[in-house]
Amino acid sequence: MNDTSTQTDTLEQLLARTGTGDRAAFARLYQQTAPRLFGLCVRLMQDRSEAEDVLQEAFVSVWRRANRYNSSLGGANTWLTAVVRNRAIDKLRQRREATNTDPLEFERLPDASHGPDARAMASADYLRLERCLEQLDPKYSRSVRAAFFTGATYKELAERGQVPLATLKSWIRRALQQLRTCLET
Amino acid sequence: MSTPTDDDKGDLRYAEYVLGVLDADARAAVERELAASPQAAAAEAQWRQRLLPLAEEIGPETPPPQVWARIRAALEFDAPARAADARGGWWENIRLWHWLTFGSGALLAAACAALVVMATHRPPTPPIPYMAATLMETNGQVGWTATMDVGKARMIVVPAAPQAIHAGRTPELWLIPQGARPIAVGLISTHAPMTLTLSASLVARLGPTARLAVSIEPRGGSPTGQPTGPVVAAGAIGAAPASALRLVGTPQRPA
Repeated sequence: MNDTSTQTDTLEQLLARTGTGDRAAFARLYQQTAPRLFGLCVRLMQDRSEAEDVLQEAFVSVWRRANRYNSSLGGANTWLTAVVRNRAIDKLRQRREATNTDPLEFERLPDASHGPDARAMASADYLRLERCLEQLDPKYSRSVRAAFFTGATYKELAERGQVPLATLKSWIRRALQQLRTCLET
Repeated sequence: MSTPTDDDKGDLRYAEYVLGVLDADARAAVERELAASPQAAAAEAQWRQRLLPLAEEIGPETPPPQVWARIRAALEFDAPARAADARGGWWENIRLWHWLTFGSGALLAAACAALVVMATHRPPTPPIPYMAATLMETNGQVGWTATMDVGKARMIVVPAAPQAIHAGRTPELWLIPQGARPIAVGLISTHAPMTLTLSASLVARLGPTARLAVSIEPRGGSPTGQPTGPVVAAGAIGAAPASALRLVGTPQRPA
């Protein structure tokens, strides 16, 4: 791997080199992934300043933990998404009280927010997941989406959706079981 | 798949963790499991692969440039002549440990004060990868200091001025999670710094609600897996910002 190849390095290669303390690889990793990950932070935190904190803290953690990235357990993109999302969710949990108590109407949540442009760039993994989500009972798939894009707990989702907690839990658990089966086939 | 076996429940728990619907306590419990069990980590990784592609529905947003500047600052990339030092360099710094070990109490106090001052003047930091504990003896003196490098799963235990113990006995270090039985960490010394390797399950239990304690045991350590002799020193675990420690590690430089 010589220097001229860096323009075409995969995220996996950049992450592996970040794990060896290569700052140039780390900078390139940030350049290539920060906009997508920052979009995720903004969506989850609903606050740009907090989203910036999450992105910063997540990348500091990426630098320190990159040597523990195991490519046999999944792609770099997924690993980075998990680091950022976990940091955001931990931060949401630290908020003393749920700041977002807007009613969530599961019946009216969109089934998908994917525009045609984004769809053209979607990964095969995404398209498989979307196909499986479409096969679920709409209230299952909507509750999974609501959970994914808000980072809210079961309890918060039940309150905001005005659904009994046990009902909401069973929707999401059945959705997860059915997704697992669907994605295995 | 329709019979809810224990395995299935366990697997769904990782799905719930990845989806993000668990409360803080449940998340922490899953994270301890993930740190302790490669099988659990593999199952969780599978759920990441399944669910996280949903993030592709979110459009990109360009972060403001100060975010990268803050990352560089937090990692001290711009500090001169410390290039090789960015990760764990201070840990290898024997001079620092000698200084911390054999320096006077006043120096140690100054170092602690410096830690606090520097920590409070830094930008918001991520989950602290280093933790520290001061183990006070029953006479009010510092017996040992322990510093934990969470990323590298190791702990260095430096004797300050522990009281002499009988020949044929040895001090043993224990981690005591809140409300749980002591877990053996390893044998330590009254006169030399010791580096102990920490198991993943031990690392997962390090935190501000846990304490470290030293008991006096027969040579070779407690025969029962629990402390059998008197507890001579103990202390709570707190955060030790790496950046601050690194700066403290150069007392020979003019301020």
